[in-house]
Amino acid sequence: MSREHPVPLERIDAYRWRIPRDRARGMRVDGIVYADDRLMSSLRDDPSLTQVANVATLPGIVGASLAMPDIHWGYGFPVGGVAAMTRDGVISPGGIGFDINCGVRLLRSGLSVADVRPRIGALADALFRAVPSGVGASSGRVLAKGDLDAVLRDGARWAVEAGHGTTDDLARTEDGGRLEPADPAAVSPRARQRGERQLGTLGSGNHFLEVQVVDRVFETAAAEAMGLREGQVVVMIHCGSRGFGHQVCTDHVAIMDRAARRFAITLPDRQLACAPIDSPEAAAYLGAMSAAANFAWANRQLIAAAVRRVFARFFGGAGEGAGLRQVYDLSHNLARFERHRVDGREVEVCVHRKGATRAFPPGHPTVPEPYRQVGQPVLIPGDMGRYSFVGVGAQGALEQTFGSTCHGAGRLLSRHAATRQLRGVDVGAELAAEGIVVRAQRRDLLAEEASAAYKDVAVVVEVAEAAGIFRRVARLRPLAVVKG
Amino acid sequence: MARPSPRRHEIVGHTADIGLTATAPDLPSLFEEAALALAEVSADVDPRAGGPVHRGAREGDAIELEAEDLVALAYAWLNELIGLAQARGQALAGTEVRRLEPASDRAGWRLVGGARFVPFAVGEGPGARARLDVKSATYHRLTVRRHAGAWRLTAYLDV
Repeated sequence: MSREHPVPLERIDAYRWRIPRDRARGMRVDGIVYADDRLMSSLRDDPSLTQVANVATLPGIVGASLAMPDIHWGYGFPVGGVAAMTRDGVISPGGIGFDINCGVRLLRSGLSVADVRPRIGALADALFRAVPSGVGASSGRVLAKGDLDAVLRDGARWAVEAGHGTTDDLARTEDGGRLEPADPAAVSPRARQRGERQLGTLGSGNHFLEVQVVDRVFETAAAEAMGLREGQVVVMIHCGSRGFGHQVCTDHVAIMDRAARRFAITLPDRQLACAPIDSPEAAAYLGAMSAAANFAWANRQLIAAAVRRVFARFFGGAGEGAGLRQVYDLSHNLARFERHRVDGREVEVCVHRKGATRAFPPGHPTVPEPYRQVGQPVLIPGDMGRYSFVGVGAQGALEQTFGSTCHGAGRLLSRHAATRQLRGVDVGAELAAEGIVVRAQRRDLLAEEASAAYKDVAVVVEVAEAAGIFRRVARLRPLAVVKG
Repeated sequence: MARPSPRRHEIVGHTADIGLTATAPDLPSLFEEAALALAEVSADVDPRAGGPVHRGAREGDAIELEAEDLVALAYAWLNELIGLAQARGQALAGTEVRRLEPASDRAGWRLVGGARFVPFAVGEGPGARARLDVKSATYHRLTVRRHAGAWRLTAYLDV
């Protein structure tokens, strides 16, 4: 762990801290970090707080450089970072991250845990076989150039039109599963090479596919709107744009690095490379970023289709019993142009969310119609040994965080530290003792991804809820975990 | 033929991801050493598959890169290796930097070299065993500096 010279930090209330605007550092706005004493105790000497201050130097930033309660050390931006720039400001690919449109999809079944538990091992095996995972996993599906361009333009809609889902899935996906302005011409041949065999694959690291059970409902009306009830089996998918998106970000960080110099933008961290939103470099990045976002939505759509086929084989038919209906699909690594109130005026801003989830409140016109009365669904994966959460956006998010909240638990230990701490521990056996079956490409990955490596997501969502930027709806416990 | 060489790199901790440092007496060796660290992070290469990881690409993909400074060249080099490996669906097994020098026709630096890759194992068969899926090398704290009479490169990888 790298220790940083602590940045000045002022307590605002029990759940928020301010990093005061420091002109000597070049900060244009304050930093605001969402954390209680428990979360702050692991952050105080962490480089992520310096990263919050660094983001505050970017041209055009308004409001504050924000960090959600799952903040941890990232590159340029902290993970859990949110920043909004006015049209005369900049866009920074590092503020979206390498895994463009990394996100979460939740599917609900009509099955109860009693229906699934007796067959959970075989079900996990079948899911592990059906959804390619691991480093450089290939789907075996090679897309022709025209097909890849269609994926990049149309995202999940391409997959649904190809028979891999329903229009109801699209209605329950952020942006309808298709972001504009996607420009396949802004994507390098290398990105195409990295992506063309990876559509429909899970990847590795913290990406996963879990069969879960709803073990607690906190807010009945919202749970009913989502079709969730206690004891119900659901499936959560966490992955992104695979090598395609990674290469898009790699390419455009290099382009922006040169652009920042050309535009004489001084940066405290070169990974914050950026360019004015009205520049050709920004236009090219937005076109490529949108294409990568669409790749990710098509990817999760194809994975969901594979999961549905497995469930149909195990539990019969596609009816309401075994048939998996989509609750929601969202991104937590993306930039979008949105309208927000800044200094009393409604303006269009480019909201960068890197490891942060959009969380618009009830009634917001951007919330899909099925959920407009309860608020935008927010899916927050935890770790494979404890739980994940479903929630909805809250009015406070619109007022405080440009409609944003946390995206997960947030890492606590490095991979090396987790492996060292768990040396000699059979993580798979410990999970099995808790009734959780795990299938993984690498057994050593389990220590790196064990619960001990993560903050307790229950604390993270508690802080988000107490701060008014999120409302808990349901808690999900894992039954089976598939890891790359 | 592989040139046996002492290990002059180490892996550095990062909360979510991973870092590396490499040290060498000259810049070509430094970039080769950083590539060794990257290869080590990415996969275990089975000797039967053509490994172990070593310097000296001899056969493989030719690489020519230009960048405005040494840090940008390091970003380009590590990401070229990451991108080539993933585009091939193989593991990095060796590199060679034949020339690393100031560009003659404009400001900046130029690298001429190559890289070799080996397939991943199928089941228990020969081949590389995947470790971490490296998405990209980043500019975050990326440095290439003279330090105590040697060159040192530090980089953080998004995994």
